[in-house]
Amino acid sequence: MSRRLLTGNAAAAWGARLARIDYAPAFPITPQTEILEALGGWIEAGELDAKLVLLESEHSMIAAAGAAAATGVRVFTATSSQGLLYGMEMVFTVSGWRAPFVLVNVSRGLATPITLEPDHTDVLAARDSGFLQIHCATSQEVLDSVLLAYRFGEDPRVRLPVIVNLDGFHLSFTREPVEIPTPEAVDAFLPPFDAGAVRFRASHPVSQAVAVLGSGPYSYFRYETHLAAQGALCVYDEAAAAFARACGREWPAVEAYRCDDAELAFFLIGSLATRARDAVDRLREAGVRAGLVRPRLLRPYPAAAIARALEGVLAVAVVDQNLSMGKGGVLHAELASALWGAPGAPRALVSFIGGLGGRSVTLEEFREMAEIALRAGREGRTPPPRLLYTAEELREVRKLQAIAHGERAALATEGRS
Amino acid sequence: MSETRFQRMNDLPSTHLLGGGTAMCAGCGGLQALQLVYDVLGAKTLFVNAAGCMTLLSIYPFTPFRGSWLYTAMACAPAGAQGARDALDLLVAKGRMPKQEDLSVVVLAGDGASYGMGLSSTSAAIDRGLDFLYVCYDNEGYGNTGQQASPATPPGARTATDGSASGVARPKKDLFGLWVANRPTYVATASGAEPLDLARKVEKAASLRGPRLLLVHAPCPTGWGFEPAEMAEIGRLAVASGVWPLKEWERDTGRVIHTKVRRPRLPVEEYLSRQGRFRHLFEPARNEPVLADIQSGVDAYWDAAG
Amino acid sequence: MASLVDLLGASAGNVFRIRFHGRGGQGIKLGARALGSAFFAEGFEVQDAPRYGAERRGAPIAAYVRAGRAPIHERGPIREADLVVVADESLIPVATAGVLEGIAPASVLLVNGLTSAETWRERLRLRGPIATLPPAPASAGAPPAGSACAGAAARLVGAISRAALEGALREEVAPLGARAVEASVALALHAFDLMAPHAGSVVEGEAPRLAALPSPNWIDLPRELPDVAAPDVFASATSVEVRTGLWRTARPVLDPDRCHRCSWICSSFCPDGAISAGAEGLPAFDYDHCKGCLVCVAVCPSHAIRAVAEADAEGPREAAR
Repeated sequence: MSRRLLTGNAAAAWGARLARIDYAPAFPITPQTEILEALGGWIEAGELDAKLVLLESEHSMIAAAGAAAATGVRVFTATSSQGLLYGMEMVFTVSGWRAPFVLVNVSRGLATPITLEPDHTDVLAARDSGFLQIHCATSQEVLDSVLLAYRFGEDPRVRLPVIVNLDGFHLSFTREPVEIPTPEAVDAFLPPFDAGAVRFRASHPVSQAVAVLGSGPYSYFRYETHLAAQGALCVYDEAAAAFARACGREWPAVEAYRCDDAELAFFLIGSLATRARDAVDRLREAGVRAGLVRPRLLRPYPAAAIARALEGVLAVAVVDQNLSMGKGGVLHAELASALWGAPGAPRALVSFIGGLGGRSVTLEEFREMAEIALRAGREGRTPPPRLLYTAEELREVRKLQAIAHGERAALATEGRS
Repeated sequence: MSETRFQRMNDLPSTHLLGGGTAMCAGCGGLQALQLVYDVLGAKTLFVNAAGCMTLLSIYPFTPFRGSWLYTAMACAPAGAQGARDALDLLVAKGRMPKQEDLSVVVLAGDGASYGMGLSSTSAAIDRGLDFLYVCYDNEGYGNTGQQASPATPPGARTATDGSASGVARPKKDLFGLWVANRPTYVATASGAEPLDLARKVEKAASLRGPRLLLVHAPCPTGWGFEPAEMAEIGRLAVASGVWPLKEWERDTGRVIHTKVRRPRLPVEEYLSRQGRFRHLFEPARNEPVLADIQSGVDAYWDAAG
Repeated sequence: MASLVDLLGASAGNVFRIRFHGRGGQGIKLGARALGSAFFAEGFEVQDAPRYGAERRGAPIAAYVRAGRAPIHERGPIREADLVVVADESLIPVATAGVLEGIAPASVLLVNGLTSAETWRERLRLRGPIATLPPAPASAGAPPAGSACAGAAARLVGAISRAALEGALREEVAPLGARAVEASVALALHAFDLMAPHAGSVVEGEAPRLAALPSPNWIDLPRELPDVAAPDVFASATSVEVRTGLWRTARPVLDPDRCHRCSWICSSFCPDGAISAGAEGLPAFDYDHCKGCLVCVAVCPSHAIRAVAEADAEGPREAAR
């Protein structure tokens, strides 16, 4: 085992390398480009026996990924935000091909306005697509999750592509210590790709992904993809147990930090979790029984494990780093639907939306969210969702607006004189 | 010519590989050409399809193919072909699949995808030198959705989206020229109405490697407004009037060769007047300016072709 | 303004449910719309829709018309029709066309064709009323069967006047030109008159009583492995199971004495690959799949193939199994 400083992107590339991928269709986009550059370098150096092909768009990239997987090879690809959205038709399409592969998404805020900084609206837009989703909080987790993704996505009971998500900048470009498993350990955990029945070869002609007319057959195929996704929950647990045996690290479907006697829990995904853990520790020091619930799997949605982790918790502060325009936070809505009517469910689920476009969530904001959520739990009155934004931030925006509008006003004045 | 196994009509296959029972219209010119294409290429093929009429060749649980098929989406069949081709090569190279299990990858797309939405993935596939055959059945409109105008719709034609007095008012896009400019291996136009010429071109294309286009005229009774029984005649008139030139280009020679030239050419009117989509040019009164324009466009092409 | 309660309370009352069957190209959609518009002109609340699928000219299609005195809430295909209109009797034996689906003793069946009602009653063992409409004489300019069927259906439901029918047809056929309008109107009114003895024989169906409905029979769908649960076809050329020969209204018939065994001209031009080399070098026709496009008739240099109407053809529509 070797422990090194790796960025999240480098860790993702290492995951693909250790998984002995065959094929990487690619297209560059900030903040993911380093992944494909790392793979390209290893291939050239003969350290990875794979083919990397640059397609001309993410839509084509995902089509190529799916077609190669449907032909029978192990495929890896990566994208982000606008690229993921450009490929969205194929994201939805290829999951129904039941040919598994791994897509690393380095999540980044969506236009409009166009930005380069992270949040989760992009990856959550794929939540209905049939791709499974694993969300990572550290670079170590990224590497390990790529391996887990191949194992559980390729399982014959599942056969679905998997998105492994890491936050742009906070993870993609941030170096932290990562233990790189040995090839022997990985080979023991992850067997070679077995295409099963879904593949192309001359002796077994097959027409794949054909049109279906009629609601009965169409519903059948759609329901079956959903059942496979749901069934992946227990396949994941098996894979995680096997991974722990092979590499010594535990990655449960849901991380529960200091929840056993918590009266207040934060609920969020991704790398914000490390700051949230820190906030939990500070709150505990200040006498608040705080905890953190962090789903790693979002699809399939680990409802039972979440409900268990939150049992007995009085109030939950849900921190969404995403925004469904006109509704609010996605995690909050999904959590509410999972917990409604569940025995021992928290009394209050309070929605906070922040961290968009790389915006930090500060320690004082965690404290504030904890206080509001606890009050809601005690008083039985939940306030409306809060968009996290400060007076200082608005002041800064006003200055920028003044410039944006001031220039035109100045020109107009000059024109008149 | 001496190298081809298709010297005369007898040499064309007398039984057909593609299964019957597909949902294409009675009299479909595209399907007629596909029969020949499939007979020559054979079942060791993977057809990668872009959205269009022929997507409905395979409707669960029915498929006419004795080889393989993958439906992708409208814009990305060449990208799907890329993934499949690379995967097949990898499987053979890594010893995970014997060479005799290999397949030729063929994109099958209509003009809607080929002349428009699919250009991005097509152009990139040519850039990468992808080894694939691209078969475009050109029925000069978005057929599967009711014959709306596509970039392949010829001037003067009425469509579901252009019912104006003179029909479509701009020239038909030159897909042949577009491919040639991208410097693939081989580009050819063909028509089911000239089956020997088509069979020879399929044979030639199959013997080459790299990106290859077969652009096949597909007379469409439903979209163009004629009786199914006239399909072959309409196709023949398109060639005989010079509206649909039969030609090929190879990168090795760099020259465009016309493989069948009719002299003298029939007046384009003989072709246009048989089709409902051009009827407005003849009834209630002849639209002489548009007819003359169309004729002069065809004349100009052949004058330049020399 | 009617309140929601008023609307809901008044809904689901008695509704005419009419289902049209025909082949693509026969004007079924137009006929159904004309009937819908005629009902609307008579003050009914109406809902009409064609059934879209992979329909092609010649392939079976359906259209639905619902009409009632209150706003209609139900939608989608009509399973139990008060009137089933069959514009092309050759569709009746085509199982996938679903002509007889949901036919109840109270349903009226109207068939456009030459076969008599008694023959249908015997063949199909139906108890309900059957009316037939003789097909218009075939001519190149004749509008398709849809107009005639709309006219006949209008008389059968009783509630539509001649004037409303004519107005509806003029409106629906207008885009096809003045000649088509006059021909359609003439056909429809002729059919309307022919149906006089059966006027009003179609009555509105009653709203279903909740208690009388069967259980929906839900199951828990089991999760299955991808080799069955993905839309993949693992067998070759299964399309041959689809008897597109049933699309035909005319078939090509070979005169072997005129055939010069010219080398596969007919075979090379058949779009469906339905002609292949047979015994003695003569072409063999796959009538299971021949759609009757008649391209082969047109291309044969020695005119050895002629077109014969299916109604007159010898031998079954499909090859013997």
